[in-house]
Amino acid sequence: MTFIGAEEIVGPLGQNIQENFMAVRENRTGITLANHAGFNNEDINLAKITSLEVKNKFEYLLVDVLDKISRKIDASFISSPKTIIVVSSTKGDLDRDISNPFEPSVRALTERFELKNQPLVVSNACISGVLAINAASNLIRAGAYDHAVVIGCDVISDFVLFGFQSLFAVSALPCRPFDKSRNGITLGEGCSAVVISNNKEIFETAPLELMPGTSANDANHISGPSRTGEGLYRTIKRTLEQNHISAQDIDFISAHGTATVFNDEMEAIAFDRMDMADIPLNSLKGYFGHTLGAAGIMETAVSMQMMRHDLLIKSLGYSESGTSKNLNITTENKSSGLNTILKTASGFGGCNASLVIRKL
Amino acid sequence: MNFITSCCRITEKNCLINGRIVAHKIEDSPESWFKQLYKHLALEYPKFYKMDMLSQAGFLASEYLKKEYPEFINSYADDEIALLFANQESSADTDIRFKDSYRDHKSPSPSLFVYTLPNIVLGELAIRNKLYGENMFAVLPKFAPDFFLQYGNILLSTGSKALMAGWLGVLDGKVEVSVFLVERDKDNRMPFSEENMIKCFSDQA
Repeated sequence: MTFIGAEEIVGPLGQNIQENFMAVRENRTGITLANHAGFNNEDINLAKITSLEVKNKFEYLLVDVLDKISRKIDASFISSPKTIIVVSSTKGDLDRDISNPFEPSVRALTERFELKNQPLVVSNACISGVLAINAASNLIRAGAYDHAVVIGCDVISDFVLFGFQSLFAVSALPCRPFDKSRNGITLGEGCSAVVISNNKEIFETAPLELMPGTSANDANHISGPSRTGEGLYRTIKRTLEQNHISAQDIDFISAHGTATVFNDEMEAIAFDRMDMADIPLNSLKGYFGHTLGAAGIMETAVSMQMMRHDLLIKSLGYSESGTSKNLNITTENKSSGLNTILKTASGFGGCNASLVIRKL
Repeated sequence: MNFITSCCRITEKNCLINGRIVAHKIEDSPESWFKQLYKHLALEYPKFYKMDMLSQAGFLASEYLKKEYPEFINSYADDEIALLFANQESSADTDIRFKDSYRDHKSPSPSLFVYTLPNIVLGELAIRNKLYGENMFAVLPKFAPDFFLQYGNILLSTGSKALMAGWLGVLDGKVEVSVFLVERDKDNRMPFSEENMIKCFSDQA
């Protein structure tokens, strides 16, 4: 069995998982209006860590989160030869060295924590986080390592903001996933980590079970979601099948829900095809914005907290159904037994990924 | 046991299949090296011209492999071939161009922006060949046969039956491409090993 625990988040809503989960429970958002941030100098809603003014922010966040993780497990495991660090990020620190966006920060992390193995950087658009957790789980199940720390991190840059603006994909208002009036993403930044291990004794707080996940491509378009939700449908189906569980076993879905018109519609179609339309579901983008490579880890971390508290968290920004297939979107926080949850992600390049976490 | 059943190497001057030169760059041609290769393949796939260099590199290598081994794709169900690729510079070649578009030309280019992720090439390969299987793009400090061996074997033991995998080093005119097909239980082929991957990767002829 593979275990997942020691979840941690550093972002605009807090410096640790407790602060972040408290904010989410109180339905507070990390999104604020940033003056003159846009390409045409316009004000833009962003979920930015405004308190952090440091050089090399990407490296700073990687080190900060791993330092926090080292206090939640037996710290000697971080530098063990049987431990791998997996970093999930789309753009790394491209403002530091655009031709080499990951290596300087990853090398600093390796030296600082005396890591014995070269960290693995997964850069697979917006599924990077879920894919990185799945990769870590696969490496451990194959016996290559005993433990992994999976860190997801992306920081807001002009590069990414102007890019999404050029696609007309940035919402004027804070993003509203799955809502009728949704009109694009709100960019966010942050860093999140989880620990995966074949040994539950390394965790100070009891971990959960991580079931092996899968990925699938839409084979349809590099930047437009599939109209049939094919890849998302296939990855969910494969993940459930290989773990011998059915849609009825899932108590909650942590969806990707970027709040673009086409992405959320695609997800609704895929969940409907899987007969999952009645399962409680949320998107956390209304709290954290879209943190790209960090999103899959951050949303998994919050889902783990939801399981620990048996609490469904409201999908912030949603009020009226805006997809052709209705979903059971959580409109208010609500106590509910959450034993088995599904996390999904979809991204540019037609990629989709999913994983399942279950209480021990 | 897993085997490398074909490999394609593209350098700045040559394109090789299983160590044999199949195309050589014409230096005084008005056409770029990748365009020369595209024409040499004699394909009808106009989308090639929209792709960035990283996607073109993956596309060309995969098409040369299919030409050498036409049965490969259809030997498997549409979700049985996994794509496992890596490089050192991510999508930097296009990132630099996109940054120029908003900094120097004052107009962020959406057609460049959509290629500023290294996994877009996986999407291009999936679209071209109708592949719905596993995908992963990793960024590593240098060509790492141990990574491909380790993770490739994991994919082949967790549902995927074949791999299209490789290294796509493309930055600022530098080309260091090596793509290989890996299959299970094929006799009389090269075992899927670090040594044989290095051999594919170092073919210069």
